[in-house]
Amino acid sequence: MSEFEKALSTVFSVGTLQQMLRSATPVALAAIGGSMTEHAGIMNIGMDGMILMGAFFAVLGSFLAQSAFAGVALTLGVGLLVGLFFGLLVVRYRSDEFIIGCAINTFAVGLTSYLSRSFFGTAGAKGNPALPVLHLAFLNKIPILGPMLNDQSLFVYLTWLIVAVAWVFVYKTPYGFWLRASGEKPDTLRTAGISPTKMKWIASVLCGLLCALAGAHLSLGHLKGTFAENMSNSRGYIAFACVIFAAANPAKAYLAALMFGFFEAIGLRLQGYISSDLTQIVPYVITIVMMVYVVVRKQRQRKRTAKLEGPASA
Amino acid sequence: MNWKRNGRYLLSLLISVLLAFLVGALILGITGHSPLKAYAAMIEGAFRNARNRGDVLEYAMVLALCGLACDLGSRVGIFNVGGEGQLLLGAIMSCQVGVALQGQSPWLVYPLAALAAILTGGIYALIPGVLKVKVKVNEVITTIMLNTIAASVCQYLAKGPWKNANKNMVAATSGLDVRHWFGGLIPGSNLSTAIFAAAIIAFLIWYVMQKTTTGFEMKITGQNPRFARFSGMKVDRKIIVCMTISGAICGLVGMFRVYGAVHLFRAGVSKDYYFEGLMVAMIARYQPLATILLSLFFAVLKIGAQGMELVGVPNQMYLIIQTVIIFFMAAQAGFLDLLHARLQKRRSRSKSGKGAASHV
Repeated sequence: MSEFEKALSTVFSVGTLQQMLRSATPVALAAIGGSMTEHAGIMNIGMDGMILMGAFFAVLGSFLAQSAFAGVALTLGVGLLVGLFFGLLVVRYRSDEFIIGCAINTFAVGLTSYLSRSFFGTAGAKGNPALPVLHLAFLNKIPILGPMLNDQSLFVYLTWLIVAVAWVFVYKTPYGFWLRASGEKPDTLRTAGISPTKMKWIASVLCGLLCALAGAHLSLGHLKGTFAENMSNSRGYIAFACVIFAAANPAKAYLAALMFGFFEAIGLRLQGYISSDLTQIVPYVITIVMMVYVVVRKQRQRKRTAKLEGPASA
Repeated sequence: MNWKRNGRYLLSLLISVLLAFLVGALILGITGHSPLKAYAAMIEGAFRNARNRGDVLEYAMVLALCGLACDLGSRVGIFNVGGEGQLLLGAIMSCQVGVALQGQSPWLVYPLAALAAILTGGIYALIPGVLKVKVKVNEVITTIMLNTIAASVCQYLAKGPWKNANKNMVAATSGLDVRHWFGGLIPGSNLSTAIFAAAIIAFLIWYVMQKTTTGFEMKITGQNPRFARFSGMKVDRKIIVCMTISGAICGLVGMFRVYGAVHLFRAGVSKDYYFEGLMVAMIARYQPLATILLSLFFAVLKIGAQGMELVGVPNQMYLIIQTVIIFFMAAQAGFLDLLHARLQKRRSRSKSGKGAASHV
């Protein structure tokens, strides 16, 4: 077997795919939350901080009550507060969402590191009750796909449900329709008698909750009850990239998160051949290229419709 | 100068700072520290000895330059979030120039290193600038992506091709020739002669932004690009140039950190310092003079917070206080605007009767 074939076979193994699914899940959960705010016309770059706080309070709850589900409950409560706080500043007080987003990210680093060192003494906490791993016997009968999907943390499966619900919510319910209108055509929505502000509030709160879940999965599922300083590790920005990549479609955002997860997974596996620092870059470059493509295509479409409508519209 | 507006801003800033310290005290109290003792340790930590005071000045320099770089962009309506990446690339490239020219005269090394820092920082900012102006891709997103890319590339270079050979450091480049270090001004502190160069740069930025026609045109470009375009200003070019200079300054900050304080490249050259400078610029409403003054204030807090460690308080209290100030200022502005709008509505209602108000 040549060197290249060996590298290829390590890349496309069940382990890689399993790893891909595992590292994609926290990003995907946050990206679904980000899709909500994106549809509501809020560019939320504060997701990284929201995930970090979610991760910390999940571990704190799990540590205090010695139960992972108590941790999830606590972090959902905090996520709700964070979403409301974000809504208060960005939606009600109309502050610049970039400023608030940046500030939330920095605030989260400060708060979680401070509290972690106060509560746990050291810079992190390990070995707290983690979320259960599900073993589904029937899955192993399916080749490749079975072992890849099996024995994952609970939230990996929960995320599929959330993706489906979010997609139906955004595209198949009146609420989703209003949500999209609140970002694209707020005045039209207002004329129709529905408050765009209210939809923006809902989006902020949903984003807070989903980012909290992402954090909970990161600390209690992915890393089995561990909190470390700054552990969100730019995942919020990756989630943000997924949102842009997917044009805020929750299902596409999940696929984008899988792509990021894939590059993370092969990065770890190809370390003998190429630095993981370089493989990490690929998804970010793709995101930039993709954004340029999306914008250019949109402009071209606009030009074409303008040409078709011609002087009538002028 | 608008005294009424500045007075209101100063009042809002003062209230926010006080409230932020109260929130900090609350968190300190909950976690079992005495707020008074902690804040006393903070003041002592910033001013105890010459070394601390030197560190305060060095950090103020970093914050001020990063903040000013952000001011430059935001004045023409482009938001440079990518300073962290520009800083890191500027740091590693200028460091590598120094390493390559080991043993040469500092007067050959400094200009070349500065050129390397300016070019890498500038070009790295040029990309999102051009994308924003020519393709209309949101610069916030591209700069955030470029930050992560730059950090990964630097990490790769420091671990791989440019790795420090003789030490078992995980990710650091070779050190600079001692002859190439910037002169230290206070023994033991990070303060170096770089601060004089920084002062000149800061003065130039302030002067151009506040006192020249170019500065005025920049303001128009940022506030009303359509008007600027119709009155014959080269809006696109202005945005690109400002963004490039902003990146070049960030690159220089990287060089100052390497030549003045760290003397080699490792990730610790900047620990999200650009983002902290960005916060200062935000609190200063992107005004250059306010950015410089507030940099001093936040540098005192930052270095002081390290002194808090001596009484057992985690230094991250600094980040909490800094961001809570932003939250309070945003909330105050929003709250007052809402109040103002409501009062005006009531006034117009009482003036024009009930019929007109029902339309609003």
